[in-house]
Amino acid sequence: MNTAVRRGARLGTGLAIGGSTAVVELAFSLLAGTALLLVRAWPRGRRAVMRPVTAGARRLVDLERHRLRTMLGERVSASYEPTKALWYLATRWALGLFGVVVLLAAVVGVGYGTLFVYAWAITDLKNPDELALGTFGGLFLLFLTSLAFFEIAALEGKLARYFLGPSQQAELERRIEQLAVSRAGVVDLVHDERRRIERDLHDGVQQGLVALGMLLGRARRSSDARHADELLRQAHEQAGHVLNELREVAWRVYPTVLDEAGFRAALETVAERSSVPVKLRCRLASEPPKAAATVAYFVVSESVTNAVKHSGATSIDVRVDEDTRTLRIRVTDDGKGGADSSGSGLFGLARRVEALDGILRVDSPPGGPTTITAEIPCE
Amino acid sequence: MRVVLAEDSTLLREGLVRLLAEEGHEVVDAVADADTLLAVVAHDQPDVVVADVRMPPSHTDEGLRAALEIRKRWPAVGVLVLSQYVEKRYATELLTGDSEGVGYLLKDRVVQVDEFLDALERVAAGRAAFDPEVVRQLLARSNRTDPLSRLTEREREVLAEMAQGHTNTAIGRRLHISVSAVEKHCNAIFEKLEISGTGGYSRRVLAVLRYLNT
Repeated sequence: MNTAVRRGARLGTGLAIGGSTAVVELAFSLLAGTALLLVRAWPRGRRAVMRPVTAGARRLVDLERHRLRTMLGERVSASYEPTKALWYLATRWALGLFGVVVLLAAVVGVGYGTLFVYAWAITDLKNPDELALGTFGGLFLLFLTSLAFFEIAALEGKLARYFLGPSQQAELERRIEQLAVSRAGVVDLVHDERRRIERDLHDGVQQGLVALGMLLGRARRSSDARHADELLRQAHEQAGHVLNELREVAWRVYPTVLDEAGFRAALETVAERSSVPVKLRCRLASEPPKAAATVAYFVVSESVTNAVKHSGATSIDVRVDEDTRTLRIRVTDDGKGGADSSGSGLFGLARRVEALDGILRVDSPPGGPTTITAEIPCE
Repeated sequence: MRVVLAEDSTLLREGLVRLLAEEGHEVVDAVADADTLLAVVAHDQPDVVVADVRMPPSHTDEGLRAALEIRKRWPAVGVLVLSQYVEKRYATELLTGDSEGVGYLLKDRVVQVDEFLDALERVAAGRAAFDPEVVRQLLARSNRTDPLSRLTEREREVLAEMAQGHTNTAIGRRLHISVSAVEKHCNAIFEKLEISGTGGYSRRVLAVLRYLNT
């Protein structure tokens, strides 16, 4: 309910703004139309006229695109032709004004729907049947207009895409290209991960075991009992180190806690294992889907590891929440910044997130702070 | 012996230094990357170098490159290469050219302290030392029309021992046969593989290995 109300409010604001831009666009269309007619009559002034006209059109269209994206949730192509932009502006104002009409109707609906409250407060109830009818009529009007809100928003998007693109074909091509890129990214990523695991095993666990074997070998060769005893003590300690190392490697390969105790518990273990204090705030209504949870987990754990290793941070802040079927993650540290988003760790993370159609952003100016945000769709 | 170590894992480097010191060898220097290794060898001229194949910066085959370089520039210095796993390419590269005083051991072999020290001695003395596992893998390629298939089981065993760089006496001891029997087998092997029996043992080993590897 809460999100529906918020979305409704956003749409309403969008339509109100759209109404005021419609007035500007109507004026602009009339001016531009006149100017173009004049150019037809005197072609010599063409260039002088066309430049400000197209520049103005572009500015208005970009404003509309911004409004459509942020208020109405409609995506429109950024590469459009100037003539198409003019046509769009010449037609859109009508829809914009219609949106205002619907808004006004909604206001009337609210007014009538809450009539009985004023009647109650100001006068005493004289004709309750009329009042009830008015209230019912008002509420019904409000219901209709709220439906119209969504319809107009969709129409706005359709109209903009009709003139400006992307067409369905272009949209499909873009999507295919995007998928091809992210698929190649995933293939590379798997390869990199395997290489990393191999290196972890060889350079960590194997070295540790060789060192252990060497200690035991030396102990066996030693003729001095005290020395041999000391070597055995070291070997015992070394065995403990190797076991820890092995556990670490296995954990980096896959945190089993994700399966056993869920996403939140997995994040808590990341916070517990970090040598820098981590403040974790995780507001989720339910357990996210497996794929999204796994990627989100790696975003948090890699970001925390990076911050501990490279940033010199004294505290790390991790926030996870969800917004309309999207998992949102933000990891902030107060370190020295300058994180390289093309570095292997962060680059790999970005590819992981992109493979699920998500977005990962790294903001790390020199001097800090570093903020890593990720949005992962949960479909 | 005067030894130089090149190993990027601090843990192993320290362990090797201690082990060699306990055995009465002098560890002249212990370094963590290939460039430093070359500089140190140029300066100290040790009897033998022990080098890890994988070292910084790229962790691929810096150690091996350095080993080949050392063999080329200072033939008097023996080189024992330690590798994480058997890589035939590395073995082949070490064996090309008139290389003596080279060794190629699996890193895990260090755990068998006696074998490791034995290999080190052999390399320092200008002979060869190849890991039994390396030899096994090289010998396993006898499925083509290979002169090796003409060897008897016993001759194969002798060849494998020989390929590791053992002397006839040692082979006899390891296989529990007399030295003269070993010599007989050796001659039979050379005859079957058409290798002239001149030069030192290591030359024969290298000839055999090179033959197997082409």
